[in-house]
Amino acid sequence: MRRFNYRLLARLTGILLLVMAAAMLAPLAASLYYADGALWPLLLAAATLATIGLLLRNGIGRKATYELHERESFWVTSLVWIAVPLGGALPYLLSGTASFTNAAFESFSGFTTTGSSIIPDPSAIPQSILLWRAITQWIGGLGLILFVVAILKRLNRGALRLYSAEFSGTQQRKLHPHISTSVSRMWQIYTLLTIVLTVLLILAGNGVLDSVCLALSTVSTGGFMTTPLGMSGYSHLTLALLTLFMFLSGINLALLYNLFTFKWRQLKASQEFWVYAAVFLLAAGSSAAAFGVMGNGWPRSIGYSLFHIASTISTCGFYTTPPPAWPFWVSVATFLLILSGAMAGSTGGGIKLRRLMTLFIYLRNYLTRMLHPDVVFTVKIDRKVVPGEYVNKIFGFVFLYICFIIGGAFLLTLCGSGIAEAFCLAAANISNLGPSPLINSLGASLDYALMPTAAKWVLIALMLAGRLEIFALLAIVSPSYWRLRR
Amino acid sequence: MRNPTEWKALLRFLGIILTAEGALMALCLLPAIHFSDGTLWRIAASSAATLATGCGLWHTFRRHTRINDRRMSYLLVTLLWLTLTLFATLPFLATATTPSFTAAWFEAMSGVTSCGATVFSDVGGLPASVLFWRSMTQWFGGFGVVLLVLALTPRLGINKYSLYTAEASGADNTGKTTVRTTVTVRRTLAVYLSLTVIFIILLMLSGMHLWDAVNLTFTNISSGGFSPYSDSIASLTHTQQYLLAAQMLLSGVNFTLLFLLCTFRWRQVRHKVDQVGFYLATCLIASAFVVLSVHSHTGCGWSDALRLGTVQTLSALSTTGSVIDDYTQWWTPATFLLLMLSICGGMAGSTSGGLKAMRVLILMRNARSILRSRLHPNAVDPVRLNGRPVSGHIINNVMVIFIVFGATLMLGTMALMLGGVNATEAIGASAGCLTGYGPGLGASGGFGSYAHFSAPALWVCSLLMLLGRLECMTVIILFLPRFWRR
Repeated sequence: MRRFNYRLLARLTGILLLVMAAAMLAPLAASLYYADGALWPLLLAAATLATIGLLLRNGIGRKATYELHERESFWVTSLVWIAVPLGGALPYLLSGTASFTNAAFESFSGFTTTGSSIIPDPSAIPQSILLWRAITQWIGGLGLILFVVAILKRLNRGALRLYSAEFSGTQQRKLHPHISTSVSRMWQIYTLLTIVLTVLLILAGNGVLDSVCLALSTVSTGGFMTTPLGMSGYSHLTLALLTLFMFLSGINLALLYNLFTFKWRQLKASQEFWVYAAVFLLAAGSSAAAFGVMGNGWPRSIGYSLFHIASTISTCGFYTTPPPAWPFWVSVATFLLILSGAMAGSTGGGIKLRRLMTLFIYLRNYLTRMLHPDVVFTVKIDRKVVPGEYVNKIFGFVFLYICFIIGGAFLLTLCGSGIAEAFCLAAANISNLGPSPLINSLGASLDYALMPTAAKWVLIALMLAGRLEIFALLAIVSPSYWRLRR
Repeated sequence: MRNPTEWKALLRFLGIILTAEGALMALCLLPAIHFSDGTLWRIAASSAATLATGCGLWHTFRRHTRINDRRMSYLLVTLLWLTLTLFATLPFLATATTPSFTAAWFEAMSGVTSCGATVFSDVGGLPASVLFWRSMTQWFGGFGVVLLVLALTPRLGINKYSLYTAEASGADNTGKTTVRTTVTVRRTLAVYLSLTVIFIILLMLSGMHLWDAVNLTFTNISSGGFSPYSDSIASLTHTQQYLLAAQMLLSGVNFTLLFLLCTFRWRQVRHKVDQVGFYLATCLIASAFVVLSVHSHTGCGWSDALRLGTVQTLSALSTTGSVIDDYTQWWTPATFLLLMLSICGGMAGSTSGGLKAMRVLILMRNARSILRSRLHPNAVDPVRLNGRPVSGHIINNVMVIFIVFGATLMLGTMALMLGGVNATEAIGASAGCLTGYGPGLGASGGFGSYAHFSAPALWVCSLLMLLGRLECMTVIILFLPRFWRR
């Protein structure tokens, strides 16, 4: 077999590091404007990343051939997802905001759009660093590989492999026969959403930097917040806007593109969208009723429920002060939504509704077959048959997902967590949700900064596994990968 | 479904079972007489009531012997357990040992499903006849009354195979050693009876009184876990504890396999070699971890750690639920591991509960196979068990059971929390009841009991036990509207 195409890996990583160095220009500008004292650390970080990036891109990766085999695509995806967040940790490290583990945690949490933070008081750190935090989420939101795929039109078939390594499992309908075209369309809609939200937030009376940070966190379903109290200091209008955009971010980007190009029929025909909307309304409605019945006042109950459920189902992870009486039903709904997540092909995490729909239909068929053993059933979504092997893959994915939650929870108990707390932490981080009032309601602390170092690395691994939908990460540690490489 | 003769046959069947139960209940008169605990007439009345109902039904519908409708056999299995439980409450109610019907129902269900969760915080204060009845319910429940009846009345006319699979885990029909269910049942029964006798003798040889030997063997060979003592098996001698551990180990092994081994039919063993290997390997690895953690965290010597660790690990893996030490006070990861082991469970075709080794094995191999197929998309790599490829149909069915099991566990936890149980304890109780392990975490774990649970929580637990014993699907299908449609 041909040797591993490490030159291409170097080139892709190099390009991404250069992109990050370029992205650091924004915090640099912010730092100059606000004079927050983070100028030199940021400059140093940008310079380091640019140097390494250039070395990788034009040194090792100069003669890269654009050929990529299936197995290499897993390597490339996983390694890029490890290297780039490590590079993105530099600003935190150099500005003295965090120690190495904490910086890595914050950076991985950003790029995987989890939103778990080790910074107890975000308002106390330089504003430029806050901006950088938000930018990492935005870059990670759509996927690092998707970033490269959009830039490198020469990747062709390799691009498709990378695309499926990062977005595994579900059958995706591409927007355009050309993968790079459909990816750049996704980027367009993603950018458009971000800009619209930023403008709306500024119009709603928020500070410019704050609006930008919040918009970047919302559209990417990241969930880093800029105040220690979460979102409780913001106006109702702001919260309403965020709710709407969190809901939108849970929608498949390809569908959103259709929505913005007025192809309503596509949206109407998507069963998953209707399930998503129904689940959202049902969860929010029942939560609002639960809050209201407990005497929290109806306007507040409804408002809070909409915000909280949108934040949970899109795995964004924003939180605000809950009404005083916390109904148990909300905890249940929250936990279920953490696992389910939003639509496949959105920026959110979790198992994804499309997979759950497939499982549900299969389960229904199974029960019917117990009664009528000779009837042949198929699983259909959007009037299309889902082939048996896809169903099997989805089952496999869900199994591994649960295994990762259990395994992660076990490792967390090794680091000293209680059992219930460990489960919630593992689930919230593998689903890239991050902070949730659910963990608070268990009496556990949300303060990731106080966790032991080992626990932080476990959570980092979980975030990464969740973001890469497990297979890409697992593929490179699979023995069969190495055995058959000869 | 609408055919009255089928219903009559069903009632006849219930009559047979109830007669058997009444006869076994009559055996409880022996300890009542021997210890003269003053419950003689009450037990006699319960037994008479059960016998009368049973014989009445049997005699009335003696001419209706055939059940041909598949749906009726699903209904029969569930009704069977409910009826058994209902009449098993009689001794508790008649002697007024339980505070309420709910508690009696819980205790009876825990016995009949050989779960081992108890509502009695002080078992030592119970009359001997009631103690014996608890052991007795586990002994006949653990083995599965359905198998018992099938063995005793081979010419029953019921669709035996469908009943057998409904009862004892449908996954285990890939490598059946014999085609005829009756033969399997007879072999299983032979093994079960001889193991019971052998272990009673062995325990008596080790210096135990006949009374304790019978009670403990009845509850441990059936992977039940009730004990006539409040401290379960903690105050026995070390030899006796190891003997009970051997019972637990064997109660998790497929009984047909034991039969083949005892009759030196080595060649047929290969059909189950993978499951045995997996079961034993899990025993070894998990024991090693638990022993190490007991040694390092509770500060007892190596020999004590070895005893406590292995016995409790075997108790968890075979879902017996005998307690040798308060494991809730052990190092959290060890407790967590015990919980996971009980979910994994022993081999299919044994008395243990949980998911069963074969299913876990298929799940793991399928995940590996999916991973491989992503790395090598063109390779043909079926999941193999015991050297034979497993069909995709069976894999997906195993997946369905896994997911339903997981969902039931999760919903059970939530229902218990809604019933006022705290999070950790709810996880423990839900797993304990669903898998048939019995004791959970927190106050209901270790030497504790379920006495402090509210009535709704006890009902949830009873339901979980039933679901766990009948492997969820048989019960769930009754809630399908299609089931009741003509």
